[in-house]
Amino acid sequence: MNPVEILGKIIEISHSNLEANSRISAILNIISQEMGFEEVIVFTYEKDKRLTSSYMNRKSTLFKIFSAYRCHIGEGIIGSVAQKRMPQSFTKRDVPLRLGCLFYPELDDHLERFKSFLFQPITDDSFLYGVLFLASASKELIQDHEKILTSIIAREIGGVLQVHKLHVSSKRKINELATLSELGKLLTSHVELPLLFQTIGLIVTKATEATFFTIRLEHKFLLNGPERFSYGDVEPFIKDYILKLENEVWIQKKTLSIRNIMPVLPEMLNGYAIYSTPIISRDGVIGTVTICGTKNRMGFTFEEDGQGLINNIANYITNGVENTILTSKLRELIKELNKAQKRAIEQEKLKSLGEMTANIAHEIKNPLVVIGGFANRLLKKAKLTHGESRYAEIIVKEVARLESILNVVLRFAKEDESAPCKPCNINACLDEIVYLFNADPGWEKVQIEKEYDCNLPPVVCDIEQVKQVIINIMLNAYEAMFGEGKIHIKTGRCEKEPDRFLTISITDTGGGIDPAIIDNIFNPFFTTKEKGTGLGLAISNKIINNLRGKIEIINKVGQGATFSVYLPLKNGDYKEELI
Amino acid sequence: MKGTKILVVDDEENIRLLYKEELEEEGYDVELASNGLEAFEKAKENDFDLIVMDIKMPVMDGIQALNEIKKVKKDQPIILCSAYGEFKQDFSSWVSDAYVVKSADTDELKRTIKDLLNVK
Ligand SMILES: Nc1ncnc2c1ncn2[C@@H]1O[C@H](COP(=O)(O)OP(=O)(O)OP(=O)(O)O)[C@@H](O)[C@H]1O
Ligand SMILES: [Mg+2]
Repeated sequence: MNPVEILGKIIEISHSNLEANSRISAILNIISQEMGFEEVIVFTYEKDKRLTSSYMNRKSTLFKIFSAYRCHIGEGIIGSVAQKRMPQSFTKRDVPLRLGCLFYPELDDHLERFKSFLFQPITDDSFLYGVLFLASASKELIQDHEKILTSIIAREIGGVLQVHKLHVSSKRKINELATLSELGKLLTSHVELPLLFQTIGLIVTKATEATFFTIRLEHKFLLNGPERFSYGDVEPFIKDYILKLENEVWIQKKTLSIRNIMPVLPEMLNGYAIYSTPIISRDGVIGTVTICGTKNRMGFTFEEDGQGLINNIANYITNGVENTILTSKLRELIKELNKAQKRAIEQEKLKSLGEMTANIAHEIKNPLVVIGGFANRLLKKAKLTHGESRYAEIIVKEVARLESILNVVLRFAKEDESAPCKPCNINACLDEIVYLFNADPGWEKVQIEKEYDCNLPPVVCDIEQVKQVIINIMLNAYEAMFGEGKIHIKTGRCEKEPDRFLTISITDTGGGIDPAIIDNIFNPFFTTKEKGTGLGLAISNKIINNLRGKIEIINKVGQGATFSVYLPLKNGDYKEELI
Repeated sequence: MKGTKILVVDDEENIRLLYKEELEEEGYDVELASNGLEAFEKAKENDFDLIVMDIKMPVMDGIQALNEIKKVKKDQPIILCSAYGEFKQDFSSWVSDAYVVKSADTDELKRTIKDLLNVK
């Protein structure tokens, strides 16, 4: 092929639709075959201002040696050709040892074969793309026309590299956009947070070819404690640096590279690029996103873009987190609402159950009184045999038992009087009860002491129910003291949660509760009294639970028991907090 | 004790029968009424030493009858006697002179009657 034919062929290839890599390789092979160069190698100029041996002709043996080291701009002949953008040629006689670069010791043995060398800068008017290196084992000298031809070819290769570069960067942009859109989709879906971050990690590491990606989050609403979602793996010492960087980012509230916080990078970190950016939500910094990439032969998998990319990711995550916070708050709210509704239904049920129970109890009571009453009469009047009178006694006894159960049921289950919940003055309610007991001659030997908090806020409740509970506790106290002793009634805000509960404490001097049975006293039908039903505390507890309060006991064996009833001050305060 | 007249008011026939027998055994003269209105009518026309009144009754309930009778005869002693145990809450029952929870065991009722009559 003559020079014109060679050039024609090369131009044809460089404008073909082949992939850039194949186009350059094909051009290099043509130069090698048609122009008599055994070595045709292209060094590309990279962002880090170093030259990488990137392409070669098929027969090349030196390529492998050049791959071992990437020379800096200005270093050796290759570096200086790139720097000056001027071609240089040598013969075997005047070529510098190792082509002027000390880091190619193996060249010593290989350069012997070649008689002439040519270095062409690959440039266009403004950019340097690399260096074209040619070596021939047959030519004593490189002719001027060959220099001209190769300089034209170098320009062609430059064109291909330029297009390739554009292609790569736009591909990266597209990739990034695709990643972000994927993230966007993910964040608007309602997956649970851990899964969300795991998936983000997967997407990001895949898209950026990062070695390690980690999200650190500290948010009191979403998470119980600090949490970290990582993808990929790095050596432990890198993790220490990542932590340092994250902390700095947290303080400075801006994206930082490891280089920003350590002017002199330790040797070990040379091969790594690490960027970290804060996740800032309405509540301030709630976390960091950190990405770590390693350097490969061609440079970092991401570098300049790294910063922009994780900024974008952090923005997305911020939005996602805000979204998730809102949805989970909403979910909480709905849950709370459902609970409230359930409680309302429960209360309604209880009330109608109460009414029904009262009615049934009342209806049963009368026939029971008749049965028991006449059994009594039989016992007194009729001349019964020993066995017969035993039977009548059994009837009387069992009726008495049933009666006392009915009495308790009737004490609590009020007949069709459904008092709605409204703000009630607890002190006044207690005063009424105390007044009633003081008026009862059976309570003569009981001294009732009051210790009220005069600033007690009103409580929204069904006061009749609360009265029943207090009366029941007072009756228990009375019974524990066998009708003689002191009952101390104290009201006040709950010490631990003064904004949430008030407390009514009733202390007796009845010697306390046997520790062996204290766990059972709230169980229905548990009683230690001959005529007890064991329903008193069971029903009391149910009533107070239903009001969202609780009953606590302080038991001082040998002295007495304190029953504390906690009533919530605000019903539904939780909801107010959220909205 | 002879000649002490007691009016027993209850809508349940068997309860009336039980109380009548139990109280007559104690030596009282027992008259019966089956609701509040009947009791009110009888109380107006006769002088009873004591009235034992159920609460839940048709036509006129015990509380109402109690109040009506007390309006006419301020000092008429009346014992409320009902299945309910939470009388202490019901302030309208306070005008009664005593309250007894209805029971097969009539001892408490008898004791209360004795106490009230003795005071008089
Ligand atoms: N203040 C107290 N001091 C000592 N023991 C108590 C006290 N209050 C409750 N208890 C114990 O708890 C048991 C359960 O009480 P609860 O009120 O449920 O039933 P009860 O009082 O036995 O029966 P009822 O209430 O039907 O009369 C009692 O039998 C008693 O042993
Ligand atoms: Mg009890």
